[in-house]
Amino acid sequence: MEFKDYYQMLGVAKSATAEDIKKAYRTLARKFHPDVSKEPDAEQRMQEINEAKAVLSDPEKRLAYDQLYQQYHSGQDFQPPPDWDAGFEFSGRGFEEADLGEFSDFFANLFGQGGRGGQAGRGGRGSRRRGEDRHAKVIIDLADAFHGATRAITLQVPQVDAQGRVVSREHTLSVRIPRGVKEGQHIRLTGQGSPGVGGGPAGDLYLEIHFSPDSRYRVEGRDVYQTVPVAPWEAALGASIETPTPSGVVKLKVPAGSQTGRRLRLKGRGIPGQEPGDLYVELEVVLPPADTDKARELYETMAHELAFDPRQSKGS
Amino acid sequence: MAQQRVVNGELIDEATLTLEDLARACSVETDWVVERIESGLLADGSPYVASWRFTSRDLTRARRLCQLERDFEAAPELAALATDLIEENQRLRERLRAAGLAAD
Repeated sequence: MEFKDYYQMLGVAKSATAEDIKKAYRTLARKFHPDVSKEPDAEQRMQEINEAKAVLSDPEKRLAYDQLYQQYHSGQDFQPPPDWDAGFEFSGRGFEEADLGEFSDFFANLFGQGGRGGQAGRGGRGSRRRGEDRHAKVIIDLADAFHGATRAITLQVPQVDAQGRVVSREHTLSVRIPRGVKEGQHIRLTGQGSPGVGGGPAGDLYLEIHFSPDSRYRVEGRDVYQTVPVAPWEAALGASIETPTPSGVVKLKVPAGSQTGRRLRLKGRGIPGQEPGDLYVELEVVLPPADTDKARELYETMAHELAFDPRQSKGS
Repeated sequence: MAQQRVVNGELIDEATLTLEDLARACSVETDWVVERIESGLLADGSPYVASWRFTSRDLTRARRLCQLERDFEAAPELAALATDLIEENQRLRERLRAAGLAAD
């Protein structure tokens, strides 16, 4: 386990006042808040600054942490010395039990329920409490929403070991993703959240579903949009073509006289559900390259034979 | 290697959340949820607490409100305003993507 430099995380000096810490936290929270940040590691950075704030904005925790801070530096291998927190009372909460799943082992060891620090503020031992609910994001392919899937999910679960220390344990679950799930929808796994305390039941695990980006498809609610390339003669004369869709290959009738951008609706072919979405196919007319004598000749014939000026209809 | 048991979950929306479920999922007291519903900041609640049921969308919104209030020590109304704007932004981005116009 590595020692965490909470002052460095918030970018403040050790002498920072409570107001300085609050200001630094708000500045960073605005920068890294996952709802607005474009930083690739925004979620992790937000967890780090939340953790740093939970310690530095709580006078008792900060005082205890400062004792260790004098002896360790960032990244140094660290185990809490015996009785490191003797003489401190951690009465303020400053963080929720649910945060333990998101905060580092370092934090959980010092201030979690297994650490001495956590016990004073938790209403004593022996109380029976339900475990906290936990949340995780799951990325699936769009096709999984059409057919259903099974996904392995690995979560870090804080647990108290035989020595009373909080350790992080990997917990892998194989989860069935039901057919018809939408982007942003949740799946609740009863009893798969944090373990209960004193024989209390475990919390639930909520999985938030997101689709992995797929350049072929675009999704809005249950409706799916895709662009299908067609040859000029298919668009001009009409054709019956086959095209892959998230639910499999479908036969599609291209109406004669189609242009790029023409949208065809395949009713009920979107994401399944009680009210299934629609699949919208947008045609894109693709010209064959004029890279052979034959192809050039055909284009020249069209140029001579067809009275066609594409700019005329644009009023130019 | 032993074969792992496959866990089946409930798809929220097909099964809805109770007031207590929603509060637990957000690590808040039920009063926190009730206050925000009564203030019109969360869900389209009926006046009858016992019949309140919540969807995936409500859960996402409640967690976002909760995080904004906590992270910025924001007033509930301000957190709700930011949440409205974030949701609107997401809707517009989704529509841009559906129209084939990259928004990211």
